[in-house]
Amino acid sequence: MKPAEDIEKFVRRRKPHVKTGRPMDKRVLDDSFAAMDQTLRASKPRPRRIILRSRAARLAVAAAAVIVVAIGLFMANQGSREQRPQMVGVVKSPAEMLTVMSLNIAYRRGGIEAVDEQSNKAFQMLGSKPAKASIQELLSELNGV
Amino acid sequence: MIDQRILVWRFNRGSKEALRRIYEKYKDDLLGLAVSLLRDRSLAEDVVHDVFVSFAAAAGTFHLSGTLKGYLSTCVANRARDRNRLRVGRDAGSDVAEAADSNSAGPMEYAVGCEEAGRLRDLLARLPYEQREVIVLHLHHEMRFRQIAEALGVSINTVQSRYRYGLDKLRSILNSGVTR
Repeated sequence: MKPAEDIEKFVRRRKPHVKTGRPMDKRVLDDSFAAMDQTLRASKPRPRRIILRSRAARLAVAAAAVIVVAIGLFMANQGSREQRPQMVGVVKSPAEMLTVMSLNIAYRRGGIEAVDEQSNKAFQMLGSKPAKASIQELLSELNGV
Repeated sequence: MIDQRILVWRFNRGSKEALRRIYEKYKDDLLGLAVSLLRDRSLAEDVVHDVFVSFAAAAGTFHLSGTLKGYLSTCVANRARDRNRLRVGRDAGSDVAEAADSNSAGPMEYAVGCEEAGRLRDLLARLPYEQREVIVLHLHHEMRFRQIAEALGVSINTVQSRYRYGLDKLRSILNSGVTR
């Protein structure tokens, strides 16, 4: 009896050399191409699928979303800051400027000079400031005090 | 190896040329494996056909972990086993050894006398399918026992023992062919 190596050598040397025929090649390739086309058509990459499948794309989209939100918040904050002085500087109508409450606020803010200034502004806007009207007269006339 | 990776990369991007090249490269080896396992050319062709169609259908998602040849050989072996299960009683009763030349002096000389690979195929056919499968995958397709074990879903010890028993049986067939 020969050692196992000889048997192994014997089997190895006699490896069958089978060749495929042309009809087989054609059949296999045609069917394989058809299967490949079908698969690729079914799984055509859509942007959403790419994002979901790729980890890097998911991270990029998340980062972009965070940046957009941050920019949005920053701009909203800036906008509100810019709006505040405008609110203060909103031009009131002359009638509003001469109400008791408005003048009271002006008095608290800057005393009688502030009240005088506010009333002057109101009359300038109205274009009808009496030359010698005192504040007391104005108040009594406007508010019925 | 790099060549293989590039081919697979192109294949995954839908290159038919890459698929054609893969087929051209391995078709004869795979058909030889299927023929050795099934001993039926048309069945073997069907097996190779099915393996390539399935492989093509995996385009875009195919991931290669080992070698392409190893992967395709495993696919052929698995499909051939399924086909073999479906086939009833066709493997039994092949008396090829009897048809061999009995004038040789010793077992190896007898074996050397069997010039055609077809004779070996017929000798292998006298082994149980599992033993034949392991011998063919290991000796003709250079698959390691570990790879075969993974492909067949059995332990490496099982693969080694099938291989050993297969060789013993082959040797005894050759010896009996000489002594007769």
